[in-house]
Amino acid sequence: MPERVCTIQSKTNGITTVTIPGNHSASARDILEAIRHQTNALSSKNEIKGVLLTGSARGFCCCQIENSATTGDAAALSGFGQQVMFILEKIGKPCITAIEGECSGLGLEVALACDFIVASRAACFGFPGIASGLIPFCGGSQRLARLVGKSKAKELIYSGDLIDAEEAHRIGLINRLHPEGEALFLAEELLAHICTRSPNAIRIGGEVVNAGYDIDLQTACMLERDAFALCFSSFDQREGMQAFLDKRTPQFKGE
Amino acid sequence: MPYKKLRIVIKNRVGYLLLDAGSRFNKLSITTIRELKRAFTQLEEDMAANVIVLSGYPGESFAVGADIGQMVHFSTNDALHFAELGQSLFEQIESCSKPVIAALNGITMGGGCDLAMSSDIRLASESLRIGHSGAKLGIITGFCGTHKLPRIVGKNFAREIFMTSEIYSAAVALQMGLVDRVYHENEFWQKVSSFAERIASRPLTALSAAKRLINAAEDTDLRTGCLLEREMATHINTLQKLN
Repeated sequence: MPERVCTIQSKTNGITTVTIPGNHSASARDILEAIRHQTNALSSKNEIKGVLLTGSARGFCCCQIENSATTGDAAALSGFGQQVMFILEKIGKPCITAIEGECSGLGLEVALACDFIVASRAACFGFPGIASGLIPFCGGSQRLARLVGKSKAKELIYSGDLIDAEEAHRIGLINRLHPEGEALFLAEELLAHICTRSPNAIRIGGEVVNAGYDIDLQTACMLERDAFALCFSSFDQREGMQAFLDKRTPQFKGE
Repeated sequence: MPYKKLRIVIKNRVGYLLLDAGSRFNKLSITTIRELKRAFTQLEEDMAANVIVLSGYPGESFAVGADIGQMVHFSTNDALHFAELGQSLFEQIESCSKPVIAALNGITMGGGCDLAMSSDIRLASESLRIGHSGAKLGIITGFCGTHKLPRIVGKNFAREIFMTSEIYSAAVALQMGLVDRVYHENEFWQKVSSFAERIASRPLTALSAAKRLINAAEDTDLRTGCLLEREMATHINTLQKLN
């Protein structure tokens, strides 16, 4: 039942907020199912310009990691979780996470698969699973190490300790740090600002950044060169540059 | 052949390559990029310079991106050739045997930001204004920025910079790791010169080997990287004994 763990709110400015506080009776699979369902639905709707993921002051994607009966079950859950994170990563529109409370375990996995994280001073982050013998299973170990470096990733995963928002900002886990209670509002404001930019350039740029990160620089630059050239057959490029020369605000169509 | 868009000054073993396009902002036009390539070749060959400092000092900008007036008429084919031209300059800077320091004196946007990132070290003045405005113009960067930026500041900051097209201050750039040091405007040039002169006083063979090794570390597995390091360290040692 995806409806049970998340609520959706779409605004006329094209921003959809998906709230997934989760709770202690929800299973990881419930939350993952809900994210997959919503991502597929939002990704295909042209009128939706940007997606904001958030939780509550209590937490984000809180759940019980079910004690898998067999190794096979655990592998299936991990495989499913990783697949959902890849789907989320390829949503094709700007997708920001706004954190007001605890963002740990599955919550941090989800936040790491988004474009970036905006948080308030009340937020905290970590992978506490180690206490019960668990490690991240939706790609979180890989995304975290690539984002904050191997040492910090090991420190977080080995210790299971939660770090506060200030520390998270210092190590580059979150992009923006705001006063308590203001993360959601300010993340939405930032997303609305991003939505005035060319959707075409944002989608292509995001794809090139993601694809190029794991290949050698030369191949990655060829990919970028071709994607750059492709922009010059778009409406957005002509509109964006003409608007710049005319000193007016561009009206992008995302095509 | 004289340069129209830049000046070269060599002083105390430091080669200064100063962008001076003669307008308010140093745009990376086709002519400027060609001149930069020529100037880097000249400075790499000139044994009077051990280190290269790239800057727009004392102007208002380091460099801004391409000339939009020129670019608005580009076909996809023109765009492809333009990206190739820019990328070949950046590859030349990276493979240059001398350390290249970008001294970011002011506005550094788009292609200018990519130019700064192809340098080895970035020193900024407090007056730095840096960003990438592609998403505002309906394009992405074609000068390796989509790969350099995530490797320098991480994917999340890179995506934020590209998606917002916002202009960031020196303090924020320092926090993200986009620049290595920030100096007060009044003492900027003096600090840049003394930093560059200190590096220029080191043996070029060692500087050059370190540059190559660190660049290789980006795309090489650890074991091969260590093998390279051992070979280079041995080689340098032999060279020093011969001298």
